Amino acid sequence: MIPLIEFAHVDFAYGDRKVFSDLDATIFENQCIAVVGPNGAGKTTLLRLTAGTLTPASGEVHLKSRALQSLKQREIARSLAFVPQNVEVPFSFTVEQFVEQGRTPFLKMFAGLCAADYEAMRRAMELTDTWSLRSRVFNQLSGGERQRVKIALGLAQQPQLLLLDEPMQHLDFGRQFEMIDLIDSLRREGITILASIHDLALIEGTFSSVWLLSLGEPMRQGLPEDMLRPEVLEAAFNCAPRHRFRLLERTQNRMERAL
Amino acid sequence: MAREVAEARTRTPRGWGQERWLLGLLATSLVLAVLVAAGMGAVHVPVWLLARSMTGGGSLTADQRIILFTIRLPRIVASLLVGSALSVSGLLFQGLFRNPLADPYVIGSSGGAVLGASIGVFLLPPVSVAGFGTTALLAFAGALGSITLVYWLARVDGRTPVVALLLAGFAVSTMLSYSSYFLEVMDRDFGTGMRVLASWLHGTIAQPAWPQLAIVAAMLAIGLAGSVPLARNLNTLALGEEYATHLGLSVQQIRIAVIVIGSILTAAAVALGGLISFVGLIIPHMLRMVLGPDHVRLLPATALAGAIFLLVADTVARTAIAPAELPVGVLTAFIGGPFFLYLLRKTKQGVMS
Repeated sequence: MIPLIEFAHVDFAYGDRKVFSDLDATIFENQCIAVVGPNGAGKTTLLRLTAGTLTPASGEVHLKSRALQSLKQREIARSLAFVPQNVEVPFSFTVEQFVEQGRTPFLKMFAGLCAADYEAMRRAMELTDTWSLRSRVFNQLSGGERQRVKIALGLAQQPQLLLLDEPMQHLDFGRQFEMIDLIDSLRREGITILASIHDLALIEGTFSSVWLLSLGEPMRQGLPEDMLRPEVLEAAFNCAPRHRFRLLERTQNRMERAL
Repeated sequence: MAREVAEARTRTPRGWGQERWLLGLLATSLVLAVLVAAGMGAVHVPVWLLARSMTGGGSLTADQRIILFTIRLPRIVASLLVGSALSVSGLLFQGLFRNPLADPYVIGSSGGAVLGASIGVFLLPPVSVAGFGTTALLAFAGALGSITLVYWLARVDGRTPVVALLLAGFAVSTMLSYSSYFLEVMDRDFGTGMRVLASWLHGTIAQPAWPQLAIVAAMLAIGLAGSVPLARNLNTLALGEEYATHLGLSVQQIRIAVIVIGSILTAAAVALGGLISFVGLIIPHMLRMVLGPDHVRLLPATALAGAIFLLVADTVARTAIAPAELPVGVLTAFIGGPFFLYLLRKTKQGVMS
């Protein structure tokens, strides 16, 4: 298997607060990884380190065996797409104009969009089922539609790796299931995914592995069925044992299949 | 599905059809507005006569010719240049601040340009070409300095909240315009300098000579040419700085480019017209309602519509209460002030954030 991303001895801190020390991790092609952990454990930080917008204090992140720091952001953006959690657009861009921004890393300074750009945008909108929304104003969309349009922007970059920051947050469960379906279909398209996920019940069956972050502990990696065990989560999320039945509820999916 | 795809393939990119139609309309209006404005004033020159003389049928009297070429046409060209420069710099600053309320006047860049220009006026007589060139250059320096200051003051954690932007712009521009008054008091001979300064602070389109117009036209040309490659980047920047960075945009470079180009345009406008408020606010906003927020499409239309708007405003200002003349800045403040308040009200929910 070819490693897409490699973290080698990565240290990162915000001022005095250490977030990662000596982090080693690898993302292989066709993996679908859920990043899980308590608030402030560094889920978004990990995504930003992967995307090259944060630089490790020491150690290196490699994209297809080239150091991220030696690459221009423009080059990075052609291989991986970052879909942020919140987007505020001050003007009333249409969905199509919004998705068009995904072509930014491919455009020359004075050239306009060419047929290949429109093709990539159309494909991205079809995959995310947002083609019919293309003339709507982005700011007037519902939360679920907006999330899909943001992913369409990322797909318009034609990335090998898609970084999703809390793609399910603020979605009702119907829309969450749609998001699961979308992630499944992206996997079938051969897109590698690294997503931070809050809702543990949505992980199994869709994600191939879990990266578990916890405050002050090294990151743990493993299969969903190994990582989403109550005793593992209890330690990582620092929960009192009396709440174990609630944790079991959160991972119900796994329990039912075990029965 | 197949039909939709076929439609998408044949569709003109970005829907330029509507855009062309609007640009054609604006260009036609521009020609008409110039003809009408050239005819209006103390000495009436009929439009049909003007149109005929411009196509080679020389039927104008010598007096009419002098009035046209030394008085009216320079003034007309001046208002076209100023209107265009103000609107486009407004569009650029709105994109940069991600805020439809940014305008060279509101954010204090005009104030900075006036201060720079006043220093120029007191150093060198602005009537000479070298003097005007120096004035324009100092206006540019003033605009650049003030916008950089406002930007630095108003940014909080990579964002520019409306309140911070407006307050910083207000403070800086007040300080700068009053510094110009201070220079006025320091002026020994109470001569041209003071008169020029007064007209700047009121926002009067000066009665320029052709070489001065050439300098400003060159500044406008540089400003417009520089805006073309920036327009698309402003669309990307609208998603926010972090998102734009992820998409491979060199945010820092774009920011500097927008500030420099915007300052050149502000300086061009101020050198001829002084403090003319709100034009850079009204024109981009109106066009956004027709064309949507895509800066690539807005840019040419904004340049044209701004020119037409200020020509019409200036023609009204100089003829409405003839023989007295109203500074066009007074007129745009009357129209633009309420418009600004309306926009502020509309974006109220964003004000506190």
